[in-house]
Amino acid sequence: MSLAWLVRRLMLMVYTVIVVSMLVFAITQILPADAAQSLLGENATPEMLAALRAKLGLDAPAWQQYLHWAGRIFSGDFGISMRTSQPVGPDMLTALSRSLLLTVSSILVTLLVAVPLGVVAALRQGKLTDTGVSLIAYLGVSLPEFVTATLLALLLADTLHWLPATGYVSLLEDFGDGIRHLALPVLTISVILIAHVVRMMRSETLDVLKSDYIRAARLKGLPERTVLFRHALRNALLPVVTIIALDVGYLLGGIIVIEEIFAIPGIGRALMVAITTRDLPSIQAGALIMAATYAVTNTLADMAYAFLDPRIRYD
Amino acid sequence: MIPALAIKNYTLDYATAAGPVRVLHDISLEIAPGEVLGLVGESGSGKSSLAWALMRHLPENAREISGTLRLGDTDLLRLHPRELTKIRGRRLGMVFQDPSTALNPTLPIGRQVTETLIQHRGLSKREADALAIDLLGHVELRDPAAIMRRYPHEISGGEKQRVIIATAFGCRPDVILFDEPTTALDVITGARILELFARLREETGVAALYISHDLALVTRVADRVVVLKHGRLVEEAPAADIFRAPRHADTKALVQAVPRPERRLIHDKPGDEVLLAASDIEVHYGRASIFRQAPPPATRRIGLDVRAGEILGLVGESGSGKSSVARALTGLARFSGKVRFDNHEITAARDMNAAYRRDVQIIFQHPDASLNPRHKVGEILSRPLKLYGGSAAEIPRLLEQVRLPAPYAGRWPHQLSGGEKQRVAIARAFAARPKLVICDEITAPLDVSVQAQIIELLLALRAATGTAFLFITHDLNLIRQIAHRIAVMRGGEMVDLLPIEDFDADHVHPYTRELMAASPVPVG
Amino acid sequence: MTELFVRLIRRPQGFVGIALLALIAMACLFGPALAPYAPEKIDFLGRFRAPGWQNWLGADQFGRDILSRLMVGARSTVPMALIATLAGSAAGAIIGVGSAYLGGRIDEAIMRTNDAVMAIPGLLMALLLVSTLGNGAGNAVIAVAIAFAPGMARVTRSVALNIRNQDYVKAAVARGESAAWIIFREMLPNAMAPIVIESTIRVSFAVMLFATLSFLGVGAQPPASEWGLMVADARQYMYQAPWGLIAPSAAIALTAVAFNLLGDGLRDALNPKDER
Repeated sequence: MSLAWLVRRLMLMVYTVIVVSMLVFAITQILPADAAQSLLGENATPEMLAALRAKLGLDAPAWQQYLHWAGRIFSGDFGISMRTSQPVGPDMLTALSRSLLLTVSSILVTLLVAVPLGVVAALRQGKLTDTGVSLIAYLGVSLPEFVTATLLALLLADTLHWLPATGYVSLLEDFGDGIRHLALPVLTISVILIAHVVRMMRSETLDVLKSDYIRAARLKGLPERTVLFRHALRNALLPVVTIIALDVGYLLGGIIVIEEIFAIPGIGRALMVAITTRDLPSIQAGALIMAATYAVTNTLADMAYAFLDPRIRYD
Repeated sequence: MIPALAIKNYTLDYATAAGPVRVLHDISLEIAPGEVLGLVGESGSGKSSLAWALMRHLPENAREISGTLRLGDTDLLRLHPRELTKIRGRRLGMVFQDPSTALNPTLPIGRQVTETLIQHRGLSKREADALAIDLLGHVELRDPAAIMRRYPHEISGGEKQRVIIATAFGCRPDVILFDEPTTALDVITGARILELFARLREETGVAALYISHDLALVTRVADRVVVLKHGRLVEEAPAADIFRAPRHADTKALVQAVPRPERRLIHDKPGDEVLLAASDIEVHYGRASIFRQAPPPATRRIGLDVRAGEILGLVGESGSGKSSVARALTGLARFSGKVRFDNHEITAARDMNAAYRRDVQIIFQHPDASLNPRHKVGEILSRPLKLYGGSAAEIPRLLEQVRLPAPYAGRWPHQLSGGEKQRVAIARAFAARPKLVICDEITAPLDVSVQAQIIELLLALRAATGTAFLFITHDLNLIRQIAHRIAVMRGGEMVDLLPIEDFDADHVHPYTRELMAASPVPVG
Repeated sequence: MTELFVRLIRRPQGFVGIALLALIAMACLFGPALAPYAPEKIDFLGRFRAPGWQNWLGADQFGRDILSRLMVGARSTVPMALIATLAGSAAGAIIGVGSAYLGGRIDEAIMRTNDAVMAIPGLLMALLLVSTLGNGAGNAVIAVAIAFAPGMARVTRSVALNIRNQDYVKAAVARGESAAWIIFREMLPNAMAPIVIESTIRVSFAVMLFATLSFLGVGAQPPASEWGLMVADARQYMYQAPWGLIAPSAAIALTAVAFNLLGDGLRDALNPKDER
C-alpha cells in the first residue's frame, strides 16, 4: 500500500462525494419544476412562495445555487429542518450512529455464519448439504427485506413472543434490553446478507479449489486440512471482502425499510420521514451522509484488500 | 533390482456423455533407480493423464480399466487417501508446467518450501527454515534468505520454477515427475533450468519421468525415450538412437517435423527492392497521468526493412518487444517513428490508408482468439473480399488454397481444430492478396507436426504469390530454416540484424550467441 | 435459438425457472379473466376468512379474495419490473459499450463518475426520484430504470473491454473495418450473452424494488392489488390473518426466484464450454 495509491484512493473518495452531492442537489432542488410549490403544496399563497424561493435562493442560476449549497454543506452546516426547526446535522449524525450499530453488527453476524457455511457447501459440492444451503440462499436473495422482516417478526415476536417486535433502546441505557431490541433487525439484515455471501463464498471456494496451486499443494502431500485452511481459505476470502463492501451500499438502502418496520430512529427512518414530509434539508443531508458512508466503507474495504493481498501491496 | 517406477498393462478411460473414451491403451514401462525416462507426445496423446494417474489425481470421470502402477514396492492403486499423503511429495515428487500458477499467490515462498519439509521430514520450523535456505541456495537462487520472505509475484518465472524444483528435491523423493517444466519459460531461462536439472540429477541420483512435447529436448535430458501417440506407446529407444534411427512411422514423422537449422526450406534470394522500411519505431502503451509517469516505450528506436518477397525473421523472448513491432506496423499500437511503404510515408495509424491495410496483413498467435466465435468461416473470409475488392465466389478457392475442403465455409470456428483455425486465419490474410504478411508467433500454440504443415503451407503460398513475410517467433531453429535475414531483439532493442549465412560467424552479438546455445540443434 | 432453449430446460434451474415464468406470464395475460372473484369485491361476511374452498388463499380485512387479487396484481408488478429493467439495461449498455469503445481518459472519467453514482443505494435513488417526480407506478418505473443504469453500465463495460482486446477485434481494426461494423458485428454479438444474463437476474431485483416502493407507500396506490401494497396492508392484521401476508410475500419471492433461476440457467446454457 504505497502512499501514491492511498492518495489516489482518497481523491477518488472525495470525487465520489462531490458527484453524489451534485446528483442529490439536482434531484431534490433543480429537477422539480418549482421546488417551492412542491414544498408548500397547493394552498400556498404567492407571497409565501416568493418568500420561500428567496430563502432557498431558487431564483439564482442552478450552478450558483449548487455552489452556495455545497459551500454550506462542506463547512458542516446542513441547514434547519423544515419539520422540527432544529439544525439537521446533529440529528442526522445521531441517527447515523444508531444505523451503524445495526449495520456493523449485521456484517459481523454475516461473516461468522456465511463464511463457514459457504466453504462447507463448496466442499460437499452436489451433496445434500450443498443443495440445502444453496436452496435457502436462493430464497434469501429472492425475498425483499420488508417480507423477510415481516415474516420474522410474525414468527419470533407475535407468535413465539421471544423478542420485542419494534422499538429501539440505547445500549448505554439498558444493555440487555438494547440487544433484545436489536436482535430482530440484525437477524433480518443478516439473513439477506448471509444468503448473498454464502453464494459468493461457495463459488469462490470452488474456483480456488480448482486452481493449480491447490493441486500443487495436494500433490506435495499436504493433508487436506492444511490445503484448505492454509492455502484455499485466504484466497477464497479475498473477493468476498470486495463483495461485502458492495453489499454495504445495498445494506444502506435496505435499512430504510428495516428501520421503518422496526421503528428504529436511525438514518433510514429519518430519511423516510423527511421524504414523506418533504423536509428538503433533511432529505439532502440524509442522502449525502448515506452515500458518503458508502464511499468511506468502500475505501476502507479497498485498503483491507490491499492489506490482505500481497500482490497489490506495493502497487 | 526393483524398478523405481513400474507401469504394467495400464488402461484408462474417461467416461463422457458420448460413452467411454480410451485415453491410455495397455501402457507398460519401467524406470530404473537413477534413470531418467523421457515421455514424448503431442497434445491429446495422453501423456498428462499418465502423470495424473501416477500422482493419483485423476478427474472424477476417469475409469481405470486394468493394469498396475508401482512405486518401488508400493502399489499406488491400492493406497488409502491417508497413505497417499505420505507418498506424494515424500517419495513421488512433481514439477509443474506453469510455475506462475503452481505457487500460492498469498503465501510467502519460504512457507511454501518449508511446509513439505515439516510435513514429511518431521523438522521443526527453525530446522526447516535453515534447510529451505540451503535448498534454495542449491538451486542457484541468489540471496535465498530474502527469497524466503518474498511472495510469488515478486520473483521471475525462472526463479519460481527453481523454487518448485527445490521443493520437489527437498524431501529426497525416489522419483520426480517433470511435466513440461520449461514450456512456460523463455528459451534461455529454460536452458538454465535444464542445466540445473542435469546437475541435481547427478548429485542426487533421483529417478525421473520427464514429460514433454519436444522430442529434441527430451533426447538431451533423458537416458531413454518413449513416444506416446493417441494413448499408445509407439516407440521405446535409448535417447541417443531415436533421432538417428526412428523405427515407428509416427516417430519418423515426429523426427521429420522437428525444425533443424541446417535443413533449409527455401533456396531463392529476395529482390533488392525495399517493400517496407521502418525507422526509429518506438511503441507506446499507456499515457502519463497526474499520478504516474508514462511507462517507457516497449521498443527503442527500432529500424528494419523488408524486401519484396523476403522472409525476415524477428526473434526474441517474451517482453523483447517483437510483437509490439507487429502492432505498430498494423496500426494497433501507438508509435513514434516512420514507416515507408510503397513510397507512402506513415507516421501514425491514421496514415494507414486502405491500400496499406490491404497490402500488409497480420496473422495472430492464437487462432481461437483471432476468429470471431459468432461468425461462420464463410463470413470471416468474405470480409477482406468485401473490403478490398473480390467476390464471395472466391471463398472455395481461398479454402482450397489453405487445403481445407470448400464445405468448411459453413462451419463455426469452434468446430475446427487448432491447426484448421490457423489455416482459416491464413486464408483471411491471403484473401487480400497482400504484399507483406506479418506472422506473430503463429505456430507457437501448435504441435510440431501441425507446425511443420503450416510452415510448408506458408512457403507454398509464398511460392505462388511472391508475398514477403515478417515472421515473428521465439524458435531460433525454426526461423533459421526459412528466413533470409534474422533480426534479434532483447528488452525493446534490436541487437542483431543478420543475413542467414552470417549466423555462424564471429561477429554476432553475444546475446544472439546465447540464444543459439540455448536452442541446441537435435543430435543425430 | 431452439437449441439454446433445449439446453436451458434440460437443467433443473432452467426448467423450474421457465415453468414458474410461464405461470407468471399466464397470470399477467389472463389473470383478470381467470380470477374466481373480482379483485375489489368486498364481502363483509368473509372478512379474514381462512384459506378454504371459498377463498383458496383466504380473504383479507374487507373479505376480498386474496388469490384473485394476486392474479390481477401480477399485472401491476411483473411488467413494470420488466420495462424498468429493460430501459435501465439499455441505457447502461449504451454507456458501457460506448465507454469501452472510446477508451483512454474518457473511459476512465465516465466509469469513475458511474462508480460515484453507484454510491447512492438503489432504493434511496428510487425514493429520491419518486419523491421529486411524484408518487405512482409510472414514476416508479422511471426511478427504478435510472437506479439500475449505473450497475448495468459497469457490467457491460467490463464485458466490452474484454472483447475489445480480443484478437478478432484487433484483426478487424487492422483490416480497416468501420467503427460501426466493429461495434455492431464484431463486438456486440459477443457481448450480448453476458448482458442478457445480467439483465435477467436484475429483473428479480426490480420486482423486489417495486414491491418495496409500494410497501413504503410511494409506488402503486390503494386500492390497487400490487403485491408489495398487499403485504403493507396485511401487516396490521398479521396476527389475525397471516395468510394475507404470506400469499403476496410468496408471490414476490417466487417471481424473484424464477428470474434468478432463469438467469443462472441461461449462464450455463450460453457457456457450453463448461460442459464436460
